[in-house]
Amino acid sequence: MADVKNLEELVLKGEMSITEFACAKIDGSLERMKEKHPEMLWTMEIQKFMWDNYRDAHKNGKKLVFYGGSVPTELIAAFDCFGFYLDTIPFRLSTNPALTAQYIDEAEKYVAPTMCGLDKTELGAWVSGAYGIKPDIFVYNSVPCDSSRLAYPAMEKMMNVPTFSFDTPFRRDDRGAEYLADQMEDFIVFMEEHTGHKLDWDKLKFYMENSNRNFELQKKCSDLRKNKPCPLPGRLLVLNGTTNAVACYPEMGDLYAAELEAGQMMVDLGIGACPDEKYRVAMLQNMIWGAASIMDWMQMEYNAVAVMDAFGFQGDIMYEHMDDRRDCFKVMGKKMQNNPMIHGASGPSENHLAMVDKIFQDYEPNVSMFLGHVGCKHTWASAKMVSDLVQEKYGLPTLYLDLDCIDGRYKSNDEVKAQIAEYFETVVMK
Amino acid sequence: MDYQRLFESDISTEAVKAWKAKGKKAVGIICCHVPEELFYAADIMPVRMRATNCVDSSEAQVWMSSFSCSFARGILQYWLEGPYKELDGFVTSDGCMQSSRVYDNAAYINNHDNSGKYVRQIGAPRKISPRSYPFYKAELQSLIEELEALSGNKVTDEKLKAAVKKCNEARELIAKIYELRKEKDPVISGTDCLKLTLSVTNMPIDEYVELLKAFLDDVKNMKPITEHRARLMVIGSGLDDPKYLEVIEEKGGLVVQDALCFGSRGFDTPMEIDDSDVLGSIAKYYLDRLVCPRMMDKHFEMDDYIIDACKNWNVDGILYERLQYCEIWGGEAVYFQNRLKDAGIPILTVEREEQMANAGQLGIRVEAFVEMIEKED
Repeated sequence: MADVKNLEELVLKGEMSITEFACAKIDGSLERMKEKHPEMLWTMEIQKFMWDNYRDAHKNGKKLVFYGGSVPTELIAAFDCFGFYLDTIPFRLSTNPALTAQYIDEAEKYVAPTMCGLDKTELGAWVSGAYGIKPDIFVYNSVPCDSSRLAYPAMEKMMNVPTFSFDTPFRRDDRGAEYLADQMEDFIVFMEEHTGHKLDWDKLKFYMENSNRNFELQKKCSDLRKNKPCPLPGRLLVLNGTTNAVACYPEMGDLYAAELEAGQMMVDLGIGACPDEKYRVAMLQNMIWGAASIMDWMQMEYNAVAVMDAFGFQGDIMYEHMDDRRDCFKVMGKKMQNNPMIHGASGPSENHLAMVDKIFQDYEPNVSMFLGHVGCKHTWASAKMVSDLVQEKYGLPTLYLDLDCIDGRYKSNDEVKAQIAEYFETVVMK
Repeated sequence: MDYQRLFESDISTEAVKAWKAKGKKAVGIICCHVPEELFYAADIMPVRMRATNCVDSSEAQVWMSSFSCSFARGILQYWLEGPYKELDGFVTSDGCMQSSRVYDNAAYINNHDNSGKYVRQIGAPRKISPRSYPFYKAELQSLIEELEALSGNKVTDEKLKAAVKKCNEARELIAKIYELRKEKDPVISGTDCLKLTLSVTNMPIDEYVELLKAFLDDVKNMKPITEHRARLMVIGSGLDDPKYLEVIEEKGGLVVQDALCFGSRGFDTPMEIDDSDVLGSIAKYYLDRLVCPRMMDKHFEMDDYIIDACKNWNVDGILYERLQYCEIWGGEAVYFQNRLKDAGIPILTVEREEQMANAGQLGIRVEAFVEMIEKED
């Protein structure tokens, strides 16, 4: 296995696609893990499942559906297609700043530098012809933000494949749910036309059942984090974001089942992710995808574990009446409106505030951090409301820290660590 | 009739005070998907909110952070500490996320302070479809019910039609003024035209229409502007500061057309009403109207509009101004860049902040651009 730097070089020279790169990098990680931490293999297996399926969809006889924003993945799977969640590209590449830099620079030839790094990476990589795979269908949504609303219609034009777009209302009320349920019907007509399949309700039910199982397990894993000490490391919160991509597949449930088992064992043994947990950190904005190791560092350096974040936790929206078509479609709509990232970046801030309030009630953090992705301007515009809530109701100050979760050039990991360290030493530990 | 008030583009509270002195309500509007006709039908004065001359938005920045667009911050600032304190409330749509966050923060502050002001957000779809018109119409119906409660006046189809008629008059008159700018040496500069379109926010529509008529009656007496080296079109983020165009025009670039929500796009063509569905007609008009690139499926229509306008107004070049953190307009070049190149239309891209802080730099860049595109007669 070539080392990552060599692979990176190949991608930069255009001799390897980002899909091949991601698959090779995951294979390399798995090989290393087998040798050093075989008990943690489950954390990477979901990545392998996802990326191998992106790469091999056509080989496996499936149509490949690229999608942006929150879309009903259960329906995509029920039409025997495999969905490629575009945000997994910047997530995956963010630990290789040379690659994200190349695609971000490419995108900035057309878009403002202030656009979100996720969208710039996706757009720039497409313009560079770096994907290595082509979609049969493109589906996108009007959420989460102004950046994505700009990027996806542009990519629609560039991809030039049959495309469907959802329009998600700002507020999350019944009128909005009905509006989205209506659009599910349109989407089914579209998918029937472009896949050549009729909707098979039993298949859809299978994926909805999977989805329910996975979110039940996710909830149980989250509940484990209420324990003191918190049994699961902060880094695992990042994996919750994977649900946007593969929430309806059994493999996602397998990950949560393994996480639950490992976490429960820790609880039973009375062990926490930190050897001596002192601080329980609430992360109030997005996940620091490009620098997840910072959470390991916080655990080692300050006995501080991230107990919950306001990004990945999806809540309790479940399919309850699986033979009621309208009800299922309304649930799909509600899921789309409450997907990770949608809560803070789109929709009224009251949803974000409610989620933060719940985190503080349920997980009892004693440190509050708003590690704000600079591309997520809409969440930044809610930051004071969020931190005021934390201060007024829970008596805690909040660290504001700007970073770019995707573009490592904005601020180095060392700079981020230095700012967090200063906060611990001058505020938290005083 | 003296029509000079058309050129007083600073935000004025006089009309709002006079309106409220009659015991009536005045309510702000943010963005272009909140139909003013609904307000007039409820006998409420609608005031399109802006941030003109807002040089210090520090309080709003505390709420919205420095990563927000300075125009949206300026509006929040004026709502908290400025001319919009006079208003009884405001209504926004989710025009862009920045305007939505003005709402969120204002609503939050409202709740904390128990100010009792009316703060409302309505949903406006981002694509055109048979599903989106009824959704938007239902949102407008809900808004009407709230405006009725606020004003104590019943909104009827007849009142809506009367309001549409009056707003259409303004739209027609503005279109006539834009037609004047097709002339080789027009009688109105881009700066004055922006002042004129901005001033609609300072007075009730009846007064505005009368002033526009008086202006048009006087056109024959006006002297054509001959001192210009290039004809420009300005496109981009919400521009509510005529001084910005003044800098451009001082350098020889005469602005003859725009794609600005405070300019031509905020008026557009008159609305057609189907008597059998008056509110549906209003919903259709406002969704179909080409205002800014916030609609996901209207990017190419906007490009077409820009290219056609360049041809029809004999434009030599485009000035594309984008506010920092305005994603909606900020990335629009991804759509039009190649098309403008193919059409042979030169473009100058400039970053901007609400506060006019870089006039010198803007002037130098515009001067160079004008020099590049000016044609020998």
